[in-house]
Amino acid sequence: MHKRFVPGIGIAMTVTALMFVTTHPAVAQKPATGPAPLTASDSASLKGPRQPIFFRHDIHAGQLKMQCQYCHYSVGVSSEPGIPSMQTCMGCHIAVGGKSDANKAEIKKLKEAWSAKKPIEWVRVHTVARHVHFPHMRHIKALGPAACATCHGNVARMSQVYKVNNVNNMGFCISCHIERKVSRDCTVCHY
Amino acid sequence: MADEHEPSSVDRRKFLKVVGVTGVGAAVLTGCSTDKVEKLVPYLVQSEQQVPGVATWYASTCTECSTGCGLAVKTREARPIKLEGNAEHPINAGTLCSRGQAGLQGLYNPDRLTGPMARNAAGGFDPISWDDAIARLASKVGSASGKFAAINGYGPSTFSTLMAQWVASAGGTLVPWEPFAREAERKANERTWGRSDLPTYDFANAKHIVSFGADFLETWGPVVEQQRGFAASHGFHDGTMSKHVFVGPRLSLTAANADEWLNVPAGSEALVALAMAQVVAARGGGALAGSLAAYAPEQVAQATGLSAAQLTALGEAFAAAQPSLAVAGGIAAQHRGAIDLCHAVNLLNEAAGNVGKTVRFGAGPAAGSGYGEVLALFESMRSGQLQVVLVHEANPLYALPQSGKFAEAFAKVPYKVSTAAILDETAAACDLLLPNLHALERWDDLRPRAGVSGLLQPVVEPVFKGMHTGDVVLRAGKGVAAMPASASFEAHLKEEWQKSAPAGDFDSYWRASLGRGGVYAAAPAATVSLAGGASQLTVTAPTFDGDGEFVFMPYPSSMYHDGRGSNKPWLLENPDPITKITWQSWVEVHPETAERIDVREGEIVELASPHGTIRAQVYVYAGVRKDVLAMPMGLGHTEYGRYAKGRGVNALDLLGAADGQGFLPYVSTRVSVKTTGDYRKVARTDGNPRQLGRGIIEAMPLAYAAKGMTPEEAMKSEGNPAHEVNTPKEAAAIAGWYESQTERTKLGNYAGEHPKWGMAVDLSRCTGCSACVTACYAENNIATVGEEQIFKGRELSWLRIERYWEGGEHGEPLEARFSPVMCQHCDNAPCEPVCPVYASYHTPDGLNGQVYNRCVGTRYCSNNCPFKVRYFNWLRYSEVAWPEPLNLQLNPEVTVRARGVMEKCTFCVQRIRGAQNTAKLEDRTVRDGEIQPACAQACPSGALAFGNVHDPESTVVKWKRDPRGYVMLEETNVRPAVTYLAKVLHRDPVTAPAAGEH
Repeated sequence: MHKRFVPGIGIAMTVTALMFVTTHPAVAQKPATGPAPLTASDSASLKGPRQPIFFRHDIHAGQLKMQCQYCHYSVGVSSEPGIPSMQTCMGCHIAVGGKSDANKAEIKKLKEAWSAKKPIEWVRVHTVARHVHFPHMRHIKALGPAACATCHGNVARMSQVYKVNNVNNMGFCISCHIERKVSRDCTVCHY
Repeated sequence: MADEHEPSSVDRRKFLKVVGVTGVGAAVLTGCSTDKVEKLVPYLVQSEQQVPGVATWYASTCTECSTGCGLAVKTREARPIKLEGNAEHPINAGTLCSRGQAGLQGLYNPDRLTGPMARNAAGGFDPISWDDAIARLASKVGSASGKFAAINGYGPSTFSTLMAQWVASAGGTLVPWEPFAREAERKANERTWGRSDLPTYDFANAKHIVSFGADFLETWGPVVEQQRGFAASHGFHDGTMSKHVFVGPRLSLTAANADEWLNVPAGSEALVALAMAQVVAARGGGALAGSLAAYAPEQVAQATGLSAAQLTALGEAFAAAQPSLAVAGGIAAQHRGAIDLCHAVNLLNEAAGNVGKTVRFGAGPAAGSGYGEVLALFESMRSGQLQVVLVHEANPLYALPQSGKFAEAFAKVPYKVSTAAILDETAAACDLLLPNLHALERWDDLRPRAGVSGLLQPVVEPVFKGMHTGDVVLRAGKGVAAMPASASFEAHLKEEWQKSAPAGDFDSYWRASLGRGGVYAAAPAATVSLAGGASQLTVTAPTFDGDGEFVFMPYPSSMYHDGRGSNKPWLLENPDPITKITWQSWVEVHPETAERIDVREGEIVELASPHGTIRAQVYVYAGVRKDVLAMPMGLGHTEYGRYAKGRGVNALDLLGAADGQGFLPYVSTRVSVKTTGDYRKVARTDGNPRQLGRGIIEAMPLAYAAKGMTPEEAMKSEGNPAHEVNTPKEAAAIAGWYESQTERTKLGNYAGEHPKWGMAVDLSRCTGCSACVTACYAENNIATVGEEQIFKGRELSWLRIERYWEGGEHGEPLEARFSPVMCQHCDNAPCEPVCPVYASYHTPDGLNGQVYNRCVGTRYCSNNCPFKVRYFNWLRYSEVAWPEPLNLQLNPEVTVRARGVMEKCTFCVQRIRGAQNTAKLEDRTVRDGEIQPACAQACPSGALAFGNVHDPESTVVKWKRDPRGYVMLEETNVRPAVTYLAKVLHRDPVTAPAAGEH
């Protein structure tokens, strides 16, 4: 196995933790068709779990056409796609304050959290069971950098991210693997 | 992992810092449900060194013994999850022993002290702040006016120099502490060559190795390096191999790897060495022959119990094989004649011309002080001459015999300070506790030998609120003129390294050194010559305390070492390589002795010496002399955390504490035995200790192996009946069946090209050390089950070392055979067709897969497995085996199994998939050697090869082509993917039926 020695101290300031909290009821709602003028209070009526900050994938990935991998930086090299660090958010938002009042309010939350050195605790949308090993990088390698939508849906059009496919259903994985004639061996994912 | 309801001793903030991210986290597998909402907490600032889901490796140095091996620390999301050897390190070259690997369980040990504490009026401990603690230390040391002493168990390093500076500045005394310090060897070297340092021994180039009680594969010296060298010379290669003879009263693991074991009485080893030296010298016409005339074989034969002819043959063989190597100085030969013994062995090496060839001076560790200084220190405590004592990295109240009343002496010191990270016996008697950081949490260095300067770097935020003792010393010594004014120990370390750095940019030198784990240079070679009078040696028989019937021989356990390993579940559960006993102490009794005194295995006997009495379970063992009782050291703690406290007995309780000649004579007591009628089951993991003709671990004489014979041919040549064979009817049924299946194995998912993973094990290299077993536990999140569950045979060791005995009866020599046994990944696996839910199945790449989430726990597969390598998870082990924060050691790449599933060796499929993923990203195929299962990676002997058997150029295929290759239980037609290469014996081929059960 390839070993990479890194000189020096490599202590992360804060590391992500998995925590369990109560389920938030998802409210049915029509899919957004573009960056709509929504406010955080609208998010309760949108599909998918409410997030601590009403982060708009439809603005970032849709309107601004930012690459998924700008934030989900390790998806091409690791099993883990990578959740952007607060520093990544602030890289732009140190200058970008938002146009509408609604957006300004959300960006203010981010800035406050940053100055308080308190990471935003996002609610996880897509999860696979812990006996499943899903290597994101293999799928990006095989399907290309824009393949995220295959499983995650067209996030670029979602005001609030919701589950389009049940990624924790093995049938969902297998049907694609059969279609593409790639391995259906159990120990590819289960070990 | 996320359960925060339990009151935890871990500071929550720190806990979060060390907990890993990842969706497929290391959390205990609790089911498939994703109903619960999880949160994703991002980094505030992403470290450039960390990619989530990708391991980051750091180089560091092992501190589990004084050898100073290099570490490669695997971290995931800023928490160490596995320790491996640093391939660049000159001592261990990429491998690591069990004790070193288990250092991880010292880091995450749930019994670590949570912060500084001070003794209160009620006799307990109260937590205090670090500022308060250091102020107390500084004030006590300051007002002691020189009546201050420190014991330092950390090796030569920047820290130890700083410690010495601080103690000297306070007018105190510093006593270095080294467990199992090799004082007798140093004193003998002083006598022989006029220098008290230790040589390094070149086992790799020695053609004939004789060990006089030195357990060089277990606890004596740099064992990983020595094992690598031993495997290189004693492993069958190029049609030959070295010969190894062990001289001593007990068959240790090192002795079990010898071709000949001479069980001479304790104390007579020196005579054997001198007789050999005399023969060697006489043969070469050296001057030594005359001065050793009094030790000619005829003169000493009687005292050693060997015949003169045997001794002469030993000497002749030693002289004939050039270069040869003799070693002495193990604890099990540390009787009152130990200096004479080491001196005699030095003369033997001189006579054979080995000095400068296989015995090389110059690199040896710097001289330690030894037992005399420790005794003197305790005497000054006893007489009230000390006000303050600080104990660092030492546990003298456990490691010194009770009979010396050291605890009483210690109690007389008004103020005692310990830096132990875990409350051990010594710390429990102290007034101030200043828990040191673990080696993986701190900046440090270690210079185990000339030329090797290992660096330690923090690879994780401190798990508990410890503080580096270097920082404590710097802060306590603040303002003292003689002390450096460095802001922190880290800064001090860099300042010191800067002094010896080459000209140029220090920062890049420092970073490069950290990346390599230190600085390694060739050791300066020193030539030595015999000191005047060195050839004159008068050996006096060592004396023994007491008049009991048996000589008592305590020996350091290969798992617990000096006792520091006994709080680590991996080491407790990994069976002793010889007895296969876990979690317990035992006393070894020869079968004839056992019959005579009427005791059986498990019976509790009382051993009494003039110095004390202990009660211990009997283990009947043919590998110990009839007049000797042997017992491992390391257990019998009265403190030291939940795993160690109250477990087993301390063999040292029977010993006297009097100084031998500058060392503690461990083998100097006679004991009497009394039966008690009590019984306790022995927690052994082996089954029948005999092979009963099954041919599980094959061996063949060197002469046959050199001719390229197969084990079967060798058996026939010796006139032995073959192993169990198929009846003609069975053979007819089997014939062609396997081949006829090939069409059926190309259907569906199995169509197309696939690699086929296989393994080969060279039994002539395997020593049975069990480092692979610990590596397997660490890599695969295997739960330790504890003594009670082992009674029921429920251990989960996916990889076990089988140990079978041959001979030992009717005057035949006792021979041990070792072999790692893991899932054989059979092509025709009996476990697969019996699984009703297809949890056990064959993968296209030749693995015997086990899908945990399919398994319903019928255990049919295990019943049908001829190798018994499938282990059932009976209870909620995953919920009890890793009390916080021990769970942080879990490997996120491997599912933690829940109750009710069958689990087994996967050939480290996570490493296979990892390498395949990497190869795919780089648009190439997996290279040979790129995948190393944890066992193969850890093996200090290099006895395991793994790879794709479809690749004709792969190492594993080359090994499998060796004529010595065979598969276990071939008659079952299961077609294992693991090939074993038969062990090679230095036994003369015979035509009559050979020793053993065949």
